[in-house]
Amino acid sequence: MKLTRIRALRGPNLWSRRTVIETIVTGLEDESTARALESQALRLQQQAGCPVSFSLTAPTREAGVWRVVVEYSEEAVGRLAVALAARACKAIDPGCEAGTAETFADPAEPFDLPAAVAQLRELDEAQRLGPSTGAIVDAALNRGIPFRRLTEGSLVQFGWGHRQRRIQAAEIDRTSAVAEAVAQDKELTKTLLHAAGIPVPPGHSVDSADAAWEVARLIGEPVVVKPRHGNQGKGVAVGVSGREQIRAAFDAASEHGSEVLVEKLLPGQDFRLLVVGDRMVAAARRDPPQVIGDGASTVRQLVDLLNTDPRRGDGHATALTRIRLDEIALARLAAQGHSPDTVPERGERVVLRNNANLSTGGSATDVTDEVHPELAARAVVAAQTVGLDICGVDVVCTTVREPLEAQDGGIVEVNAAPGLRMHLSPSFGRGQPVGEAIIDTLFDTGDDGRIPLIAVTGNNGKTTTVRLLAHMARLAGHQVGMTNSDGVHVADRRIDTGDCSGPRSARKVLAHPDVDFAVLETARGGILREGLGFDRCQVAVVTNLGSGDHLGLDHIHTVDELAAVKRVIVENVAASGSAVLNAADPIVAAMAGHCPASVIFFATDPQQPVLAAHCAGGGRVVQVEDGGLVARDGLTRHRIELDDIPLTGGGTIPFQVENALAAMAAGWAAGLPWEAIEAGLRSFVSDPGSAPGRFNRFDYRGATIIADYGHNPDAIAALVRAVDALPAQRRLVVISAAGDRRDEDIRRQAELLGDAFDAVLLYEDACQRGRADGEVCALLRSGFGKARRVTDIDEVHGELAAIDRALAGLQPGDLCLILIDQVEAALAHLAQRMAEPLPRAA
Amino acid sequence: MKKRFIDILRLTPLRGPSSWTYPPVIEALVDIGEFEDHPSNTLPGFYERLSSWLPTLVEHRCSYGVRGGFLRRLREGTWVGHILEHVTLELQSLAGVPAGFGKARETSERGVYKVVVSAPEFELGKPALYCARDLIMAAIEDRPFDVEGRVATLRELADRVCLGPSTACIVEAAATERRIPAIRLNDGNLVQLGYGSRQKRIWTAETELTSALAEGIACDKELTRQLLQTVGVPVPEGRRVDDAGQAWEVAQEIGLPVVIKPCDGNHGRGVFTRLTTREQVAAAWEVAAAEGSGVIVERFITGNEHRLLIVGGQLVAAARGEPAWVTGDGEQSIEKLIALQLNTDPRRGRGEDSPLNPVRIDSAARIELANQGFEADSVPPAGTRVLIQRNGNVAIDVTEAVHPSVAAAAALAARTVGLDIAGIDLVAEDISQPLEAQGGGIVEVNAGPGLLMHLKPAEGQPRPVGRAIVDHLFPDDESGRIPVVGITGRRGGATIAHLVARLMRLAGQRTGLACADGLYLDGRTLEQRDCTDFESGHRLLLNRLLDAAVIENGARTIATEGLAYDRCRIGIVTSVECEDALPERDITEIEQVYDLLRTQVDVVLADGASILNAADPLAVRMAALSDGEVILYAADPALPAIDGHRARGGRSVHTRNGLIVLAQGGTETIVTHLDSVMMLDGSDRPFALEAVLAATAAGWALGLPLELLRVGIESAQWEGEALPTQATLANDDPATTRHAPTPSARERRVAA
Repeated sequence: MKLTRIRALRGPNLWSRRTVIETIVTGLEDESTARALESQALRLQQQAGCPVSFSLTAPTREAGVWRVVVEYSEEAVGRLAVALAARACKAIDPGCEAGTAETFADPAEPFDLPAAVAQLRELDEAQRLGPSTGAIVDAALNRGIPFRRLTEGSLVQFGWGHRQRRIQAAEIDRTSAVAEAVAQDKELTKTLLHAAGIPVPPGHSVDSADAAWEVARLIGEPVVVKPRHGNQGKGVAVGVSGREQIRAAFDAASEHGSEVLVEKLLPGQDFRLLVVGDRMVAAARRDPPQVIGDGASTVRQLVDLLNTDPRRGDGHATALTRIRLDEIALARLAAQGHSPDTVPERGERVVLRNNANLSTGGSATDVTDEVHPELAARAVVAAQTVGLDICGVDVVCTTVREPLEAQDGGIVEVNAAPGLRMHLSPSFGRGQPVGEAIIDTLFDTGDDGRIPLIAVTGNNGKTTTVRLLAHMARLAGHQVGMTNSDGVHVADRRIDTGDCSGPRSARKVLAHPDVDFAVLETARGGILREGLGFDRCQVAVVTNLGSGDHLGLDHIHTVDELAAVKRVIVENVAASGSAVLNAADPIVAAMAGHCPASVIFFATDPQQPVLAAHCAGGGRVVQVEDGGLVARDGLTRHRIELDDIPLTGGGTIPFQVENALAAMAAGWAAGLPWEAIEAGLRSFVSDPGSAPGRFNRFDYRGATIIADYGHNPDAIAALVRAVDALPAQRRLVVISAAGDRRDEDIRRQAELLGDAFDAVLLYEDACQRGRADGEVCALLRSGFGKARRVTDIDEVHGELAAIDRALAGLQPGDLCLILIDQVEAALAHLAQRMAEPLPRAA
Repeated sequence: MKKRFIDILRLTPLRGPSSWTYPPVIEALVDIGEFEDHPSNTLPGFYERLSSWLPTLVEHRCSYGVRGGFLRRLREGTWVGHILEHVTLELQSLAGVPAGFGKARETSERGVYKVVVSAPEFELGKPALYCARDLIMAAIEDRPFDVEGRVATLRELADRVCLGPSTACIVEAAATERRIPAIRLNDGNLVQLGYGSRQKRIWTAETELTSALAEGIACDKELTRQLLQTVGVPVPEGRRVDDAGQAWEVAQEIGLPVVIKPCDGNHGRGVFTRLTTREQVAAAWEVAAAEGSGVIVERFITGNEHRLLIVGGQLVAAARGEPAWVTGDGEQSIEKLIALQLNTDPRRGRGEDSPLNPVRIDSAARIELANQGFEADSVPPAGTRVLIQRNGNVAIDVTEAVHPSVAAAAALAARTVGLDIAGIDLVAEDISQPLEAQGGGIVEVNAGPGLLMHLKPAEGQPRPVGRAIVDHLFPDDESGRIPVVGITGRRGGATIAHLVARLMRLAGQRTGLACADGLYLDGRTLEQRDCTDFESGHRLLLNRLLDAAVIENGARTIATEGLAYDRCRIGIVTSVECEDALPERDITEIEQVYDLLRTQVDVVLADGASILNAADPLAVRMAALSDGEVILYAADPALPAIDGHRARGGRSVHTRNGLIVLAQGGTETIVTHLDSVMMLDGSDRPFALEAVLAATAAGWALGLPLELLRVGIESAQWEGEALPTQATLANDDPATTRHAPTPSARERRVAA
């Protein structure tokens, strides 16, 4: 058994809406080994604690080759799980995937299951979001808000385009840098809180131990000594009194900055109130790490006993952290007259640290429901005064059931980017929905952070439909992000070039801060390679499938198999969205059954049975009636005359009529205003500027030239129909073919053209997609050999040379179809040739 | 026998507007002893010494209103107090804090002066004053004085205690161009612009709108590069690398030459450009890795370094860097040549104010030299040009030249990272052309960018970047101000304060109140003591939850602390009385009291109002000083002051036939019956009626609806020292009720 290809499908895909690892396994005698790999890879992840449940094994046409698909929650963990499972199944890795090779180092070694699970668990802990960020992401998902991690850390983007927001743990994109700086300066914070009428402990910052002592005497001992600028309780001494203690505390604090704050120790316990927006959403009492004597055990034994609590872990990932008997703990013990080996009396409370931070073994008890509204109000004002939208307010008081003013309590600190762990999973008491609260401050009720997203797929017409839709949306005032097979476009700028119909380009659009409307060409290749670049779309458009394209690639051999791939966008339409389907293409029409939302059918013929039935059933349709495009929804109709749609040549170019129908339907489905849809149809011209390589017409010295990028039999057939409608004397076609298509498809294209044209000029260029020189031309020639009309076949090397040769032979009244391959270069060349002055008569 | 010494008896920092001027000043009480009998013209050699030690005194236009005016006075004869004033100002000026206001006034005691000098920072002004005294004494006594050394000390002090130049330029633009007040919040560069709920905070070129998260992103250069690339901003190709070997692999992959830099370094630390060999890459990796945050290798873009400043989505300034060269003379080492040819440029200095840094041979320069076959101590042949820094300080203004698409790319970069203010570092041959065509790109996005290069470019025009930042924070004529009502005088001030605060609260504004009987936040009692001091008023203005503030000021506050606010919407003066004299401040005459209290009217904004007691002739006299309109109030409508004021179309509030009326010109509008005002019912408190009228006038001036005025006035009760609030206090704040003041103290004050 060999794993020949491992892919992570990072969005909805052929198999599932979930993220999966797809592995091609070869050299199998039967399915059982593939199944074993599948179940092992899934179970390993489950045992490592990953929330995964989906897997399957699918055959291919090739003997002994299976596709094994396993869900993952973290890509790296999924990949490792497949690799480990493969090792367990004694698979041989040809080393095709970097990064997994080492796990195959010694296949002879017996498989160590516990070690494998531990390895996965460790990787998962390193990869997955921490509990705070995780809680926020979960809350977002519950509200249907899409998210994307921007780093391996906790930086996450929610929403798309101009609606996007970012968080990093408990810090959000509007958290003010200046407010964080204010919160860092404890003295300034106190000044501002005091100005806002919030009780704070009296005190001052000092720069010498003597001054600290003076302040302490002035405000009364015991005092708290802490660095003026500091965090996480570093260098803080609580409850010190006497000159010596204060001096020592000053020295310790001043290691964290030259200025040290001395303030009165308020009576009571430490509480942390979490303020999100203008609300206190959670409160916890924080107790320092401590043990209670039983009269028999030593401190060390008591600590060990406490640490057996399975909730105590070593890092931030668990509810509690293990208590360490480190230097600080030893010092604190000594101050109470203990050492790790002394036996505290029964019921004696032995505190092991002054601060109650969870990360040093403290515990948190939820008290959210007990907080007095006046006290909660002070915490909110404290956060607002400092300017923090998410804020941990440290309160010292006897009870949270009373206002601070009634008990000499006070706010001692406010913290930016507070830890959420103590509120999400407190050591004691109920967890609070703080992730939800944070998401609610980022997105108003009903706002899911999404922008309208139209995904367009199909065999032919995708790019024109996408461009036409983008044009309509722009007229409606949107900043449109568009991907298609010649680039990524945002507003009027192209930000990437090349074939951009895959998920990476889709993500570029959705990440762009200006985009408020996305129209994404979604081609087969990207879906197979990586899944969709979005979790769902508002509108899915399938233009046609015809007899298919790219067949024979990627284990896709039939049109039905291809349909299953393209259908992914239809399966992932939002419940409130629509699929726009070509009723006249049976395979496309059948996708309606896979659509979880409403369907709009389009077809030129109103009598088309699928369309007519849908319409009769009250469904929405778009069709051609008496020379006009009509959108029908029950009795409501919107009509635009074909004569007003230049793209369709007044209705003479059938495939452009279909593209116009599809775009009209999709614009409608996306909620674009009718004015914009109509204006878009009226003003869209298929010229090299707005739709390069899509039926671009030129007039050249009385001859008509049409440049098009069509390169599959359906496209060619459509072109032939359109060109047939144009009057011409002699008809010439200039053609190459994409080498990655099946032989039969290449021959078929030639046959179709040979029946419609008088002369053919073949060319080959550098880009033959894997074919040997001359191979494509030979295939074409064999196709033209069967054709009825063509009489004249010539051949040239090089696309531009072919164009030049064709132009040279044209007479007024001739028609020349140039099937261009390198779209930009060819169009630029054509434009240059068009601009040349007429040669002077000899 | 008088001493021959200048004795500084007392220093009073006046932190806000005072009877002297608006900005902060130091008022020094100075005894010049026997110099009272020796004006400057009688001190031999004094003029010559002083004017040669401080030649810039020629700029002081005092007395004659022309350049050299003060020196002329000095030559002709002036007194030491006056000289002390000018020298103090000049020393502050030489320390980098330009001279402002100064005054020297005799007191009632012979030879004792009040010397007043503007002092934006007391911490600087005080030592400047003492230094000035020492300098003058040395000049009188013909002793040497190390002017340069003392000025240098003051300048260092100024660098430490004053706002940095970037912050200062924002504060300055706010104050002078938008009249937005500023409060410095700490001894660093954290400043509050505006008051109360309208405030915005800045910290150098960071604002409270600047996202901390975005700053974190900007610090991670690799993440920034990826985000920018995603949205189509031209950036150099690059990658994070883990070791020198990988650095070289990546370098070859993306194509030489390359740049190596630390992931989160800044200010060019550890950045190496134009590396072409494996050895260079390895060496650069070592240094960059030492910065500790990871290392990036990226394609080297040929061209000039530029800094584009984006504020609120707009390009507001752009500067270009310049390579530094020396030319060999066949004798001197490169190090020497740098000192001779480059660092002698007066624009190069270490201070914050210098547009260019001195050139030094750092590790980047060493690599640059090595590329040319030199070391720091090499002696290049005569005439050989040696490149020291490919990109020196970016300080040549090119704002006008930036191509719109380049500005758009920079703005998109800032938006993508999420920064409202960003310094975009960009490399391009020609900033006036689109980046794509020339292979230029954005190499870094900086949060909290320095502004100096735009304020003091080495070449080209300075750019109003401070103004741009202020406009970004306060768009559309937003003033940053909350309505502030200031009250002074001895006739019912606290009662008026309570009433006005009540009216504003009824109008839905969260109102703070600081007056003689306490401090209140929107109805909540915080303090029960005399809160007419600077600190209490200041506390209200800091509070970002307050929409309005009512602040009572005693004469003593104005004389010893200054007002807490720079300007106010409403200024109320109830009386000018001898009881407000402050003999220990040498304020004994009624005219001096007038000069003190008029401060309240001086600070009224042009769109505000001064509300003056028509029954007090001196209060009425202040009408002429008000920038805003004047509203008079008095029980008696027949007072001549009111008559004249109404005749000119002015507004007044008075009583007529048992009614409270609002009068403007010939029309009168009834507010209510005096009988309906609960406060006045059976009250024998003095000035109760006047207080009601003053508060009504304030409410009117604030544009409150008549109905609200009526209800507010009618239903008001005695507050503060009176009983109603005590009950609520008992629940609210037992800590402070312990110190509830005795009403008698208050009664005495009101009765006085």
